[in-house]
Order: sequence, then structure tokens, then C-alpha cells
Amino acid sequence: MSTITAPAPPPLAPSPGPSIAERAPKRVISPERVAAASTLLVIVGLAVVAVAESGISLPGMIESWSHAERFFARVGSITFPEPAELLYLTALTVGLVLCGTLLAAVISVPVAYIAASNTTPGPAWRAAGRFITVITRAVPDVVLAMVFVLMFSIGSLPGILAIGIHSIGMISKLFADAIEQIDEGPRMAIRAAGGSKFQQFTSGILPQVLPSWVATVLHRNDINLRGSVVLGYVGVAGLGLEMSYAFKSLNYSLGLGIALVIFALCVAMEIVSSVVRRAMLGIQPSGRGLGDRVVRGVTDARAARSSRRTDAARSGAPTSGPGLASTAASGDLEAALRRPWTGSRVRNTVWGWTAVAVVVGSVLICDIHWGDLVTFWAKVPAIAAQFWPPSFGNYEASTLVAAMGATIGIALAATLLSFAFSVLIGSLAARNVAPNGAVRSSMRLVLVIIRGVPEIILAIVLIVITGLGSQAGTIALAFGGIGLLGKLIADSFEEVASGPERALRAAGATRGQVYASATLPQGRRALLGHSFYLLDSNIRCATILGIVGGGGVGYYLLNAGQGSNYAVVTTIVLMILATVLIVEGLAVWMRRVFR
Amino acid sequence: MSKASVIEVAGLTKEFGRTVALHDVALGVQPGEIVVLLGLSGSGKSTLLRQLVGLETTTSGSVRVLGEEVPSLGGRRLRALRSRIGFVFQQFELVGSLTVLENVLTGALAGLRGPRLGLWAYPRRLKLVALGHLDRVGLLDRAYQRADTLSGGQQQRVAIARALMQNPEILLADEPVASLDPESSDQVMNLIREIAMEAGLTVVCSLHQVDLALSWADRIVGLRHGEVVLDTSVEGLSKAQVMEVYGRVATSTSELEAITVELAESTQHRTVVG
Ligand SMILES: Nc1ncnc2c1ncn2[C@@H]1O[C@H](COP(=O)(O)OP(=O)(O)O)[C@@H](O)[C@H]1O
Ligand SMILES: [Mg+2]
Repeated sequence: MSTITAPAPPPLAPSPGPSIAERAPKRVISPERVAAASTLLVIVGLAVVAVAESGISLPGMIESWSHAERFFARVGSITFPEPAELLYLTALTVGLVLCGTLLAAVISVPVAYIAASNTTPGPAWRAAGRFITVITRAVPDVVLAMVFVLMFSIGSLPGILAIGIHSIGMISKLFADAIEQIDEGPRMAIRAAGGSKFQQFTSGILPQVLPSWVATVLHRNDINLRGSVVLGYVGVAGLGLEMSYAFKSLNYSLGLGIALVIFALCVAMEIVSSVVRRAMLGIQPSGRGLGDRVVRGVTDARAARSSRRTDAARSGAPTSGPGLASTAASGDLEAALRRPWTGSRVRNTVWGWTAVAVVVGSVLICDIHWGDLVTFWAKVPAIAAQFWPPSFGNYEASTLVAAMGATIGIALAATLLSFAFSVLIGSLAARNVAPNGAVRSSMRLVLVIIRGVPEIILAIVLIVITGLGSQAGTIALAFGGIGLLGKLIADSFEEVASGPERALRAAGATRGQVYASATLPQGRRALLGHSFYLLDSNIRCATILGIVGGGGVGYYLLNAGQGSNYAVVTTIVLMILATVLIVEGLAVWMRRVFR
Repeated sequence: MSKASVIEVAGLTKEFGRTVALHDVALGVQPGEIVVLLGLSGSGKSTLLRQLVGLETTTSGSVRVLGEEVPSLGGRRLRALRSRIGFVFQQFELVGSLTVLENVLTGALAGLRGPRLGLWAYPRRLKLVALGHLDRVGLLDRAYQRADTLSGGQQQRVAIARALMQNPEILLADEPVASLDPESSDQVMNLIREIAMEAGLTVVCSLHQVDLALSWADRIVGLRHGEVVLDTSVEGLSKAQVMEVYGRVATSTSELEAITVELAESTQHRTVVG
């Protein structure tokens, strides 16, 4: 250690007259900022109360673990359906989800077209497009399924339509975002050559956004598969329905078996969609999800083997020297019409036909009663009359409002718990925060594993095993939230400008000081945005939890639906809609104010 | 003052808010002429070219192209006019994820009804024509490659083939070689000139290098701050004379320096490898 000590800095300039404190400008804080900060404080306060109220505690969790042990002792071993039936149910579930996602994928193209600022025919169209994306996202697919089960009585159409309509919002929103970010050049070139608006879209824009569209659709398909379980609780055919029957008839070993199958199915689907993403888009999966990791691991090994081959091929080919004046005979041109079967063309064709086969297979297995699509219109007025006007039915208004409050409480508590753990795990998973690579990798792995667990399945299993309703639901949501929020936090911390961090480190700040003074302040806005995103998603999820026994307004929703009190269903849906829209509005406001 | 002009611009003014991009511009171009629009960046070259195909609205003035008054056109008739004019851009503006051949085929969209996605959606007859144009620009062997796997010079040649697909009467080029290295740049400029001669095309090409303009064009139209300051045949024109015109109109020594530096860039300095 050197012993050089810095001399005390001399006073810069003697300041005559009023002191620095008096001369310094007063800090101005806009009233809007104050209002936003207070609102945020209230929300956090409510979340703290919600966590306290939820009664989640370590001793409690240990106790419920002994519960679980007794439960398993009672249930004995896990059982599965007959192999043939299991296969059919699995195929049906996957087929139904695929059909639904595909429906949404197709509808989302025109919706995104009118919603994107650079393609919309006019402001009114744009508003309509926005309205469709918001409203389809806000109405839970379970509610849609309930309505459609009424209209189509039986079959797979209710599930397909519910998934399809609910998914329009997310797919078209992300698709519209992608359209707004395109390179306008190719489109302008087609315009300059006299192409119509429609041609500009299909030839200049669509090829640019196709990869993002495919990726979004695949991602949504994963989400829909996870969510399809709950649809079973309101009568949509598939694994979910069988599971709900099993639990209702207290056949826990079968119910848990099916839950396990669904779990495995979700993981398998993630891997498949990662493979498809890679094959169809020709890009290395860059995500950090479970599926992407597996695929990357496999393909990296293969790429290493094949790269030597292509290098050799390339060096053999002539690199430049275009003979500009070459004129091929017309026979050569005829020959050139036949597109050579290169590796990539073979691959594309194989994948394309596989996709077609899967879609056709899905439609076949769903055994869609197309006629219903024509006849159901006749039933619409009668059914609409059952749903309108909304009413509280036999319930006191205060009961339903309290239930909605309980749902919001679950969401708030889960979000706060996720937040606490995510900031810790997410920070340590960020390259610029983690003390070393090993910590970062292990934290990333933890996040990947957590994200691989479908939270609804987890909630169902926890509720069944521990017998605790809303507590188990909150824990499941909080756990799932860590996977999502932790990843988002880690990613946005890695994206902050590294300059300020370097500057502080150069000035001798400790690791913790750098984190607190450079990383955190820069990532604050992202942190806020992501947390609101999680809250938003948790409120939708918490509603659904009630349907599987997790408490809150979902319980009343299911009851009202099964008791044919459709006016009550409408009331509850409106309450959910209002809550979701308020949270979304708050999020937009906060992001704007805390820029 | 002459027989039928293919391009006849008079009193053209274009404003973007408070910026006057073009001020009272007059320009007449005869069939088969090869004209260079010369000027510093920001002098209004791109704006003028865009005006010729109605890519932007006109503030005032008249723009007659191929006998049509461009600002008054819209919809189908504007598209019909555009289909007769090829446009080559500085940044090529190909769809990178499509094959080279499909990019060329998009030049024929105006003559087709409805949208086209994928090679199979184009008639065989057009595919043959497109392959012929690709052969003309020396890229037949790249027909089925993705456009973004080509070098800058190759991409610009694909863009030229795309313009040829329109079977154009006029070819407009906006700094077609500003993003290319000297070698590809020469190739592309030669190609444009050869094709123009073969097909009897009228060409208006914007550039910012005096040397290149003098050696390539039949006629030079100089723009400065949105106004035409020079309009003459290159016959007997020397670089010093061009610089002198710009020097005379320069309002400050700093502008004169900028002109000297930018316009006088020798060939090896205009490299911006893309
Ligand atoms: N879309 C636009 N919006 C606003 N200003 C523009 C726009 N396009 C061009 N301008 C302005 O018009 C002037 C001429 O631009 P431009 O035609 O691009 O010049 P050049 O092509 O010669 O470099 C510049 O001052 C530029 O800033
Ligand atoms: Mg320009």
C-alpha cells in the first residue's frame, strides 16, 4: 500500500454575500411528478398490505409442506389415462391451441395494418385497430370460452374461437410495432415504380416483418398452450377438461398425472417452437428461454461440424469479376427459370409442407363443426339478451366488489413478492452487476427454469396439495413472476450505458456503489415499466386463478357461468375490464412522467 | 424552345415547413438526354427527383413529365405514370429477405393486379424477362440468392434490373454510387450509361462529384440552396469553370471552402464502403 495522502482541497473561491445554500436554485418538482410518485407510493403501500393480509409466511409454508406429505401419502401413486386416450387428448389439446393461435395470426394481419401508424388508412381506422387490440387482450379467454360454449354447445369451436379472439390483441400489437419499425426504403421503391398500396404492403413490408410475425405467433402459441388448461374448467375439450373432471371427482392421482403431462407438453412445445423459429427464419435463437437454450446447444455442435465444409465450398467459388456484358441465350434463361434445389430451399420446402401438414392435422383432429359457424348467428340475439343488461344477481354488490378487491390484492401481493426476488436475482444475472461469470450463469439458469414452469399448472397443483386457496395462488403467481421480471430486469440492466459505471469505478467506487449510483438509476425506468407489465399480467392471471380455486373474483365468475347467471358474468367482466384498463392507463402515465 | 420535352419543370417551389428545399426551379429535359444534377448535400437534388414522380406534394409550380402534370395526378393515373419511370436509390432499397429475382420482379408490380408474395405468384413470362435483365447486369447466377447476401455494388445492379423491369422511358437515379467503393461505382455508372444508350432512355442522375459528372454526363444542372445556378452541356466544360460558377454564387468563404472540398473530391475520396 502506498502512503500518499491527498492534501485537503483549498477552498475554491471565497464567496462573499449570501451563502451557497441561499444562492443555489431551488429544486423544482412538477405537480404531475408529485401526483405520480404519490400514486406509486399508494400502490406499493397497498401491495405491502396485501402481502401482510395474504398470510404467507415461512412457518406457514413449512406447515403446508407437511400437509403435502400427508396428501401424497393419502393419494398414493400418480396415474395417467390410457395411452390411446392420452395420445388423443394431447393431440386434441395441441390441435385446438394451434388452430386458435392460427386464427388470431391471420386476423391480426389486417388489424395490425390499420393500427400501425405508417400503414393505416386514416386516424379513425387507427383508433379502431387500437380498440380491437386493447379490448381483445382485456377480455380473458376463459370468459370468451364460457360465452362460446353457450353458443356452440359442444365441440372444439368454443376453445378455438376463445383462444383466437383473445390472442388477436397481443399478436397484432406486436405486429403493428414491427411494421412501424421497418425500413421504409423498399416500400418507397415499390411506390416509385407504381405499385399500389396493397402491393407496397405485401412486397415491401410483409417480407421485412414476416420473421417477427412468426416469432410472435410461436410465442403466443406457447402462452396459449399454458392457458388452455383453464379453458377445460369451463368445458373446452382436451387435457384441461379431463383434469378438472379428475379433481372434481377427487381422483387426485389421475389429476396430478394429467397436470404432469401438461407440464411436459408445455416444455416440449417451447423446444419445438424454438426449432421452428430457427428453421423457418434461418436465425440462431437468441432468446434465453428453455427451448432456445436446448436448440442452441444442439445446433452449435452441428454448426461447428458443417462450417468447415462450407468454408471449403466458398473458397472454391469465384469471388468476384462479374462479366457485365454477358448475354445468355434464351435457352439459358429457360434453364435459369428452374430454381436450383439448394440446401436452404430444400429446408424451406420441407418445413413449409410440415407446417401445412400440422395445420391440416390440427383442423382434422379438432373435428370442427363448420356448420355451427353459420347457424350460431341465429342464437346470438337470444344469448346476448341473457348477458345484457349486467346485474349483480343474487349477490350483494359489495360481495363482488370485495372479490374483485381480493383478486387485485392477490395480483399486487404476487407482484411485490416477485419484484423483491427479481431485483435480487435479476441484478445478479446481469453481466455488469454480477461479481463473476459463475454467479451470472447460475442466476440466468434459475430464471430459465422458473420460466419453464407454467404458473397455472403450478397453482392448481399447489392448491390441490396444500389445500390453501388464495395463498397457494399468490405463491404460484409470485414464483412465475420471478422468471419473467427477473429476466427483463437482467436484460435491461445489461443494456444501460456502461460509461457512467466506468466513470464511477475509475473514481474508486465499490461494486455496490456503482450499482446503486450508475446501474440502478439508469435502469429505473425500465424497472418501473416491467413491474407494471407484470402487475397487468398478474391481474389477468389472478382472475383465472379463482376459476381453479385460487380465490377472488374468478370463483364468482365460474359460479355465475355454471349457474347460468350470465348478467352477473357481464358485471364481473366489466369490473375486470375496468381494472385492467386502469392499470394500463396508470402504466402509460407513469412511464411518461418518470421519463 | 425545343421539341417535346420529356421533363418540363417550371417555377417549382417546395417547402418543408420553413425550409425552402427548391425555389423557382426550371428544368427541361429532351428525350435521350443524360443529365446530371450536381450539388452539395442539402441542395435539393433528392427533393427535385422525388417531385418528378410525385413521391412528395408540390408547394407550387408546374411539373410535367411524359406529358402529364404530376402534381395533379393521383391514384391509378399517378401509378401508371410512375410505372413508366425507373428510380434508382442511393441505398438500393431492396427487400433484403427476398431473393434477387423476386426483388427484380417487384419492378413489374404496377402492370399486375393485386399483391404478389413469392416467386410462384409471378407469371413465367415476367420471370424470363427478369432473368434477362439480371443477365444484362451480370448477376444471372445470383438470381435465387437472398438480396442481402450481395455486395453494395451488386445490390445496386439488382436495383437497376428492377428499374428495367418497368420498361421505363425515363431513368432517375439519386446518388446511385454514393454508398459504393470506387470500383463498383465505376461499374454501376458505366452500366447506367450503357443501358441508357441501348434503350434510348432519358436519364436524370444526381451526383455530388464534379469529376464524375464531367466525365459521365451530357449536360450538367447545378443546384445550390434549391436554386439552379448552372445549366450547360459538358462539351468543352472544365472543372475549373464549374468551380468558378459555384465560387461566384458562394456567399461566404466557409461555403466556398465546403464547395471546394465536397465537389472537388477526387475519385479515390468518394469511397464510402457500404
Ligand atoms: N422530408 C423532409 N422534411 C423536411 N425537410 C426536408 C425533407 N426532405 C428534404 N428536406 C430538406 O430540404 C433540403 C434539400 O434536401 P435534399 O433534397 O435531400 O438535398 P440533397 O439530396 O441535395 O442532399 C434540405 O435542407 C433538407 O433538410
Ligand atoms: Mg439526397
